[in-house]
Order: sequence, then C-alpha cells, then structure tokens
Amino acid sequence: MDQLLETFGVDWKLLLAQIVNFGVLFIALTYLLYKPVLKTLDERKAKIAQGVLDAERAAEAAATADADAAKVVKGAETEAEGIVSSARDLAGSEKARILKEAETRAAAVASDADARAKEVAAKALRDSEKEIARLAVLAAEKVLRDSK
Amino acid sequence: MTGVLAQIGSFFTTPVAYAATEAAEHAAEGAEHAAEAAHGSGIHVVLKAEEVFNLFGFPITNSLIMTVITTVVLIAFAFFLRKKLALIPGKLQAGVEMLFDGVLNYMTETLESEKLARAFFPLIMTIFLFVLVANELSFLPGVGSLLVEHMGSSVPLLRAPAADLNMTLALAVIAFLVIEIAGVVVLGFFKYAGKYVNFSSPVNFAVGIIELASNIGRLISFSFRLFGNVFAGEVMLVVVGFFLAYLLPVPLMAFEVFVGFIQAVVFSMLTLFFIKLAVMEPHGNESH
Repeated sequence: MDQLLETFGVDWKLLLAQIVNFGVLFIALTYLLYKPVLKTLDERKAKIAQGVLDAERAAEAAATADADAAKVVKGAETEAEGIVSSARDLAGSEKARILKEAETRAAAVASDADARAKEVAAKALRDSEKEIARLAVLAAEKVLRDSK
Repeated sequence: MTGVLAQIGSFFTTPVAYAATEAAEHAAEGAEHAAEAAHGSGIHVVLKAEEVFNLFGFPITNSLIMTVITTVVLIAFAFFLRKKLALIPGKLQAGVEMLFDGVLNYMTETLESEKLARAFFPLIMTIFLFVLVANELSFLPGVGSLLVEHMGSSVPLLRAPAADLNMTLALAVIAFLVIEIAGVVVLGFFKYAGKYVNFSSPVNFAVGIIELASNIGRLISFSFRLFGNVFAGEVMLVVVGFFLAYLLPVPLMAFEVFVGFIQAVVFSMLTLFFIKLAVMEPHGNESH
C-alpha cells in the first residue's frame, strides 16, 4: 500500500493542499458565482411569472371592457330607436291634431265668410228695397206735383 | 489499449504501460526508469507529479501550481461575471445561466427534490467546472514543455492537475465524504447505517456488507478513473508527438479536449447519482 502510494506520488501534504484548494474554490464560487446567478435566475423567473399574470389580467380586463362597450352601444341603440319611434309617434299625432285644427279653423272661417256674405246680401236687399221705396215715393210725389 | 501502450512503453523503455492501475507495483520501477530516461533522449513520462520547488518544507509540485492557476482562473471569471450580472443578460451571462439552469433542473429531476438539488448544486457544479477547466487548461502551450531545474534535473513547470493522483484522490475523498454525510443528514444515522448493516436476513446482511465495500471502493474508482484518463491522454500525446510532432497530434488533442469534458461530466454526474443513492429511503429487501 505504501509502495503504491509512493509510486503515484500520493503525499498527505499535497492531498491536503488539494482539498484546501478545492474548498477555497467551492466557497468562492458559491458566493461569487452560484448564489448571484441563481438569484438573478429566480428574480427573472418571478418577474416573468408576474408579467404573464399581468398580461392575463389585462387581457381579461380588455375582454370585459369589450363586452361592456358592446352592452353600452346596444343599450344606446335601443334607446335611440325608442326615442326615434316615440318622436315619430308624437309627430304623427301632432300632425293629425294640427290638421284637425286647421280644418276646424278653415271651416269656421268659411262659415263665417258665408254668414257675412249672406248678411251683406240681406243688407243689400234691404237697402235696395228701401231705395226702391224711396224712389217710388219720390215718383209718386212728382206725379202728384205735376197733376196739380 | 493497455497492450499497445505496453509495447510502446517497452520500446522506448518508459513506463507508459504502467498508467494502468493494476500495474502499480511495477510502476515503482517504471518511475525510476522514467527519471533516468528523462536525462537521455526519448520520452519523458513520469507517473507522479514532480516537485518544482520547496516552500518551507512543503513540496510544491507542477500539478499543484497548475491547480492553483485553475482556481485563480475560475475565481477571476466569477468576479468578472458577477460585476456584469444584470437582469437582462449578456451573451456570457446567458450561457452561464443556461448551464446552471439546465444542471439545476437535471439535479431536481434526479434527486426528486428542489431543496436537495439547490443544496448540492454548488458542490456538483464546482466539481464539474474545476475538472473541466483543469483539464482544458492543460492543453495550453507550455504545460509540460516549459522546464525548470530542480535538484539537478529538469522538470516540467506545469502538469495537468488530473494527471496527479493527489488531485483526483482529493476530489474523490471530498465526494465520498459528501455522499456519506448526505446520507446521514437526510436519512438519519441509524437509518443510513441500516442500509449497510442489516440483520433482517443473511442475504440482506451480505448485500449490505458488499454495498459498504463498494462505497469505499468508490474512492479508488473515482480517483483512478479521472487520473487514468487524463494521464493516458498526456502519454498518448507525448508518444504521438515523438513520432510526428506536427499535425498528427491535432485530432488526438481534439479527442483529449473531448475526454477532458467527458471526465468532468462523469465525475460530477457520478457524485450526483451516488448522493441520490445515499439519500434514497431504504426499501427493505429491495436495497441492493
């Protein structure tokens, strides 16, 4: 065994030196390399997970916003339709009312004019009767004067 | 493969063949041969890392220097990346993140627990990065070719860290301890010990003892697998370079770059699997 170790140059001093060297390397790399790099990896992983979550949430919000908007538009459309139709109804009834009023007024005007024309005619008749009577009286007077 | 290497080894009177673990006893002589061969012409192959200088009685080997360089490179890289770390990553950060995230996911799947995966991630990742960078840095020019004088002979200043059993054995010891401690911490001492010392039936008792032996055997398999692969690669490159120094080593070097990566993966993955085996609940008769 001793011969074997001697042949391969195994020396406890060198062996210890190698172990210490590896220990130093192990500690140095752990604190200088592995921990910082793994920390960066974990941070990035967390960040990506957060980003994905945010994106999902945003997509969800966008979807609900779309639905909301569609709902609002639909509501507005129905409302507008209602307004238009009620306005149309209103306009129809108003038109009918106005027509009716105009007709009544026209009828009133016509009947008024008729009455007035009749009155004028009657008055003219009366006036002409009076004139005729006066003329007749005048004629009679003349006749009487001549005969005297 | 070993046979071929043995032939080449005897041809150049160097202990190439003795890279194989079984030939440990012969390797002792081989190493001496190699030391002699180093002075003459031929291939310079040494089984063990050579001492470059001595610091207060502490031998500094060429592999240890390379290990320290690897460590410094990795820590410098960590500093550099940490300064540029941002939530929106650059190319480098994205690459590192992809690696870490992939490994962490794989570990979570294997260990079936994110908490355990995060607890063992630093160890698995450090083993992987350390072995990978150590192996790949060894292909830089100068490693093995820069020579310095030490105690009258010229030795390479730098040597692949994993071509030194001290480094692979150190990693194996760390992996072994972590695996056993993980079992004790996650399952509790008696439950974990119950996996190996089991008196419920003679068969279970035998199985438990075999398993205990195989656990200790991991020390050897872990260390020699990595050492053998990297050392054999070095030797192969040296031998091929001796035949023809230009162009011929290129595909082999590319292959060794791949082997360096694969060994890093294998070492870290096996550690992960053994941790999984250790923290698994014992299933009565099924445990084997």
